[in-house]
Amino acid sequence: MSQSELLKPALYDEQGTAAAPGHPALNGGQCVCGHVFFPMQTYGCEVCGRRGEALQPVHLSGRGKLVASATVHIHAARTPALNTDVKPHAAPFTIGSIVLEDGPTVRTLLVGVDEKTLKPGQAMVTTLVAVGTGAKPILDLRFTAAS
Amino acid sequence: MAKTLKDLRSVYVVGVGWHRYQPLSDTPYVMLGLPAIRSALADAGISWTDVESSYVGTGLLGMAAGRAMLKHLGATGRPLVHIENASASGSAAFRHACIEIASGIADVSLVVGIDKPGVVQRAFTKTGIGNLADDAIVPFTHFALLTNEYAHRHGVTPQDVALVAVKNLRNGALNPHAHRQQERTLDEILGGKPVAGTLTALQCCPVGEGAAAVIVASEEAMMRLGVDPARAVRVTAAAAASERAGSQATADAAITKDTIADALNQAQLAPKAVDVLELHDAFTIEELHYVEAMGICKPGEAIHLLKEGAFDIGGQCAVSPSGGLIAMGHPIGPTGVGQIGEITLQLRGDAGRRQHKGAKIGLAHMVGLGAVCYVHVLQRP
Repeated sequence: MSQSELLKPALYDEQGTAAAPGHPALNGGQCVCGHVFFPMQTYGCEVCGRRGEALQPVHLSGRGKLVASATVHIHAARTPALNTDVKPHAAPFTIGSIVLEDGPTVRTLLVGVDEKTLKPGQAMVTTLVAVGTGAKPILDLRFTAAS
Repeated sequence: MAKTLKDLRSVYVVGVGWHRYQPLSDTPYVMLGLPAIRSALADAGISWTDVESSYVGTGLLGMAAGRAMLKHLGATGRPLVHIENASASGSAAFRHACIEIASGIADVSLVVGIDKPGVVQRAFTKTGIGNLADDAIVPFTHFALLTNEYAHRHGVTPQDVALVAVKNLRNGALNPHAHRQQERTLDEILGGKPVAGTLTALQCCPVGEGAAAVIVASEEAMMRLGVDPARAVRVTAAAAASERAGSQATADAAITKDTIADALNQAQLAPKAVDVLELHDAFTIEELHYVEAMGICKPGEAIHLLKEGAFDIGGQCAVSPSGGLIAMGHPIGPTGVGQIGEITLQLRGDAGRRQHKGAKIGLAHMVGLGAVCYVHVLQRP
């Protein structure tokens, strides 16, 4: 894995948290007011407006519960592709809305799931999948059902 | 303490007009807007030279669309402003025109919503803050997720949700200004092109081109210009809000709840007093969310009322008699202005085959990307 490159390293980390070591962590943040958010930013807290050092990076565990899912049947590929090293999304694919155990809700693609058996409330975890078009191994974050 | 619209000078809608909402054509936007404005002026029985200011709601045309159009009515030198507020651009333009009349700064204002489909990059992609997969999650997928969540929570089926489109397409079939003017069966809607989740193409609003215009005026102006007071409809509340921290996926319903409550409070009305409701039903699930957020019924109960015909024209409360965004269409800038036009026709008793009998109180609701929300209450004096 060490030879591979993350597509969005600002957003997630190959390493998991102590709570969920086997699943990539999400790079979130926490304000001194207590608000936990994703992704990390220092522009200002959405709850209280504090900025700068009041906002500290925290690794959010790659575990959460499914809120909702939907399989996308129509998807207009962006032309020209922004990054030709990466495979474009091709319908059908399934999007999940996941409330992380650390608080924030995130939405992204699901992999390795049968949409018919997905149920709100079920446990989900992060995983990395290969999305490169060529020899260069590029990994991006997805969620899948926890085994 | 800050004042509401009702504490200020009375504001009336005195003229309404449209250019039909339709698929993208070669017609320049100017020739969509001018017929709508001329119709609204004729409807009010006033001249362009009587209009003291203009509010142009547009999201997709690009910078400074207004003067290039309005000058063909005679360049009067009066102020004009453009308002972009995503899907709520037209509603925002209407609110600010009402505020100008109510404050006494102008006596007669034009509100025109105008757009043609075009590619405008959404600013949230330029914030410098990344996202996991927003390029794969377009609005119909957002609402497919909300449909999935609602269906599980309340035990409703995809067939149930699609009934919203059956009703709104039936209403749109009676509206000469609607983008979609064809009634459809439940089977036709469910059997259509799958889009995302259980949403099919006819459960998603068409985004085309068009224009809608309304004239707002003070009582003094109506008397001075000889506007028939029997055809004027009073604006008794104008409320607006933006998303609060933490509401996330349910932001649209959460701000709808707060903004409708604010507007009804301003007008001192209960939710069930509303006879005619024009909602932001860009996707079928939204109508269920918003009638529940409004307080017409409890969460999960909207589908039962829909099935009983409570939201039909002639029912307890006519919901989107124009056809709503699903049938009337959603050309962006015009949408919120057209809602005001439809409610005006309904309260005057001029809605023809779409008339909800005895309509006295109407409410127009829009949400826009961001999220923002606008609600106006109109009443027959």
